[in-house]
Order: sequence, then structure tokens, then C-alpha cells
Amino acid sequence: MGAISPLGADRLSTFAAALAGRCAIGPATPEIAKWLPQVLVAPAAVDPRSLLDNCHAQLDRATQFALVAAKEALADAGVAASPDGARRFGVYVGIGFGGAQTVDALYTRLHNTLQNGQGNRSPTVVHPLSVPRMMANAAAATVSMQYGLRGPSNTYSVACASSAVAIGEAFRAIRDGYLDAAVVVGTEAMLTPGAMLAWNALRVMAKPDAADPARSCRPFALNRSGFVLGEGAAAIVLESEARAAIRQRAAFGELCGYGCSSDAAHLTAPSSEEQVVAMRQALAQAGLEPEQIQYLNAHGTATDAGDVVEAQSIRTVFGQAATRLAVSSTKSMHGHLIGASGILEFVLSMMAMNSGSLPPTATLDTPDPRCDLDFIPLTARHGCEVSAIMSNSFAFGGSNVSLVARRC
Amino acid sequence: MLEDIVKNYLIDNKGKDTALFDKPDLQVSDLKLDSLDMVEMLFEIEDRCGFQLPDPMRYAQMSFSAMLADIESAIRAHDNGELPESDLQASK
Repeated sequence: MGAISPLGADRLSTFAAALAGRCAIGPATPEIAKWLPQVLVAPAAVDPRSLLDNCHAQLDRATQFALVAAKEALADAGVAASPDGARRFGVYVGIGFGGAQTVDALYTRLHNTLQNGQGNRSPTVVHPLSVPRMMANAAAATVSMQYGLRGPSNTYSVACASSAVAIGEAFRAIRDGYLDAAVVVGTEAMLTPGAMLAWNALRVMAKPDAADPARSCRPFALNRSGFVLGEGAAAIVLESEARAAIRQRAAFGELCGYGCSSDAAHLTAPSSEEQVVAMRQALAQAGLEPEQIQYLNAHGTATDAGDVVEAQSIRTVFGQAATRLAVSSTKSMHGHLIGASGILEFVLSMMAMNSGSLPPTATLDTPDPRCDLDFIPLTARHGCEVSAIMSNSFAFGGSNVSLVARRC
Repeated sequence: MLEDIVKNYLIDNKGKDTALFDKPDLQVSDLKLDSLDMVEMLFEIEDRCGFQLPDPMRYAQMSFSAMLADIESAIRAHDNGELPESDLQASK
């Protein structure tokens, strides 16, 4: 597994910061703050370019994040470039808004050229690779080429559920015998002026906490005010049980359930009914009862509708077992990575299962009574026996995804 | 002006019954707008006036006429006490 996130430059530092309850949220860059002084962001802990060769310097930032996370995950799994059976090794990527940085830069350049009337420079002169950089599958293509992985290189764009879908679809492809292994990546990089203007217009962004802006994203709290956009990537390597046995590599766990449903109702408002269906599908496929899940990483965006509906859905699915279930929204710390959020939260969940340490909902000092679950408020919980986890991702457009994994 | 812009938008784009707007004590909650509807409705004004109205969901607890009065005062506050009439023509 690998990660580059607002919390850290790799998965270990990301998880350590999550357990420490560190909130990586702060003011936007000057070019965004100039127009949106109240907007908050969760930038990656490190510029991905600083971790890559120069030949990757011109790629879209989302692709750079993807390369960093994939590199760590593949190294972690002991997979070298052009591995044996490369045609049965896929690349599955989730991204919400592919090429956001490239598109923004293109329009900024056009605007500046028109505005400044730079002599006889034509505003039509743009980089010839602008299209392959901004295409949604740029990250999948680059990872596939970089590592010589010749199976399908597919991209899923399902808003906030993108990388959770990518995990689930790779899981199905391996389970159904189409592939032996896949590297799954979720990536997102849209902390750009244009994208932030669009998000601001939707009125879902958190307002700065006057006392401590870093703690402005408050999922499941009475004083929530919305979410904070983050950026980064995470990656995992999935492989069949047979391939893992041949390679004799220790696994972090077994992905065993994938549920997926659509509300078919509203662009942005969630539906409990279909969230419940997705969670129940994942549990049924895993062959687990609700009481066998000890930790659930909630979608938990810190919007009123989202939090209340998800808490209700979890109650419905888990019934009596909900009282013993530990739930947290790590978005309180790393913000909302949109296309990368599902896989980043799945990685954190897997690390929680392996370590027995559960990351908190770090900003939950005033719980919303309508969200009546154990949300691991404020501080991490250690020494927990976790044999199975669930990770939820619910997207604009009404897509609901639930993933279940257990110890091997 | 303002009233016609909002009313026409809700009738034409959100399928609201014209008869609703005959109620003198019409409440915003009677319009059954969710948060996204509300934001879209306000954008009809924001786009004409060039600034963003704060906290859209506070209108959910107001009467329709109080909401319009509040929007008008926000526009005047933004435009030195004036209403930019040419921007607020319903036909625009």
C-alpha cells in the first residue's frame, strides 16, 4: 500500500499523523485566497514533483501523485517493473476531475496572454501534450507504462466514490479470473483557482474555525459547516490468493466484500435506502455478519445531510451491533480527496486493522445527537482487536460504495 | 423585479405552481426547495448582481416576502444603497 496525502509523504507517516489526530487543513494559496479569503484546503504534505524524476515534471499533478503512491505500493508488495505475467496485471484508477491542474493552467495562460497583450505572442500556443496530460486516464496510462503492466488500465470517475469503485472492480476482475493482480490508485489534484471557485459556488465548503482553522472540518458534529478539499493519492496492490501463495508475500488483509448501488434520485442529496443496500451487499459477499466488523471508516464529509443520513444507514445495517462498532471520519484530518478519498480511507482502515489502533474523528468535540454512534471522538484508540473493517464512499450523483476487508 | 426573477425561475425551471405565489403568507418552506435548489435559485440573482449572497439556508426559515426583502437589502448594501435596475429586469 502507498499514500501521499495532506497527512504525510507516504502511508506510514500518513497513518501516524492520523493516529496523532493532526489536522492538515489551512488557508488556500494566495491566488485562491485573493478571491475566496475564507476558503480552506488540505494540500499534500509534500510536492509530488520532489519525489519524482525530472521526466515526470510536466505531468498533471494528479498523475504525479498517482505515480508516487503507486511506486510505494508496488515496492511494498515486492512488484518490480514488467513483472512476470504482466498481461494479467491490471491498473485500476479512480479520479474525480482528471487534469484539473492542466485545464486551469491552460485557461490561466490564455487569459494572461489576452489580458496582457504580450507583443505578438499568440494565445493559441499551448503545449502539445496538454490533451494527454488532462485526459482522465492520464494517471492509469502513466502507471501502466512506467511499470510495464499490460493488463487493462481502466479509469473510473465516480466523483467521491471513484477509487472505491476502482478497488471493487479490480477485485471483481481478479475474483472472476480475468486478472491475477492489479495496482489500484486513487488520485486527485484540484486545489486550483478555477476548481475552488466551482466548489465555493456549491456552498458545501467549511467555514474557518476562528480559534483553530486546522480544526474546521467537523464530521458528525453539531457545529459542522461543510468539508475541506484535499489532494493526494493512495494505492494498493491486489492479487489473487493463488498468486500471493506463490510469491509468499505477507498480505495486509483480504478484500472480501464490495457493494455498489445508485440512489437514482438526486444529484447531491444522499439516500439512506441505497447506502444500506451497498453496505449489505458488501457484508453478504464477505460472508460476514454486522457484529463481525469492528471498525468502519465513514464517508463522513461534514455536511448536514450527508452525516445524518450515513449515521442512520449504519444504524440500519448494524442494528444492535452498532453499539459495539467503532466509526470514524478521517476527513476531519486529511480533508476530502474526492477521487482519492475512498482508497486513502481504505488504506487507513487496513492499517488500523493490522495495528489495532483506530484513527479518530479528530474534531468531534460537540457531537450531533442525530448521529448517535461511537465516532472515536478527538483521540485515537489503541489496543483494539480488529478482525474486519468496512469503508464507505458515497458520491455526488448518488453512487454508493462499501468495501469490506478482513485479516488473512 | 426581484420577485419576478425568483418567481419566474421557480415556475419555469423548478416546476412550481403559479398559484403558490398568490398566497400572501407564502413561506419559503412551502416551496419544498432542497439546499441545491436554494443555491441554484439564488444564483439567478447573484449572476445578475455579481456577488454571492451569504448563508443560503437561512432563507429556509423565512417567509417568501422576507427572503426577497433580505435579498434586496443585501444588494443595496453591495451597491451603495442602489438597486441595479438594468441588471434586475426580469426579462434579462
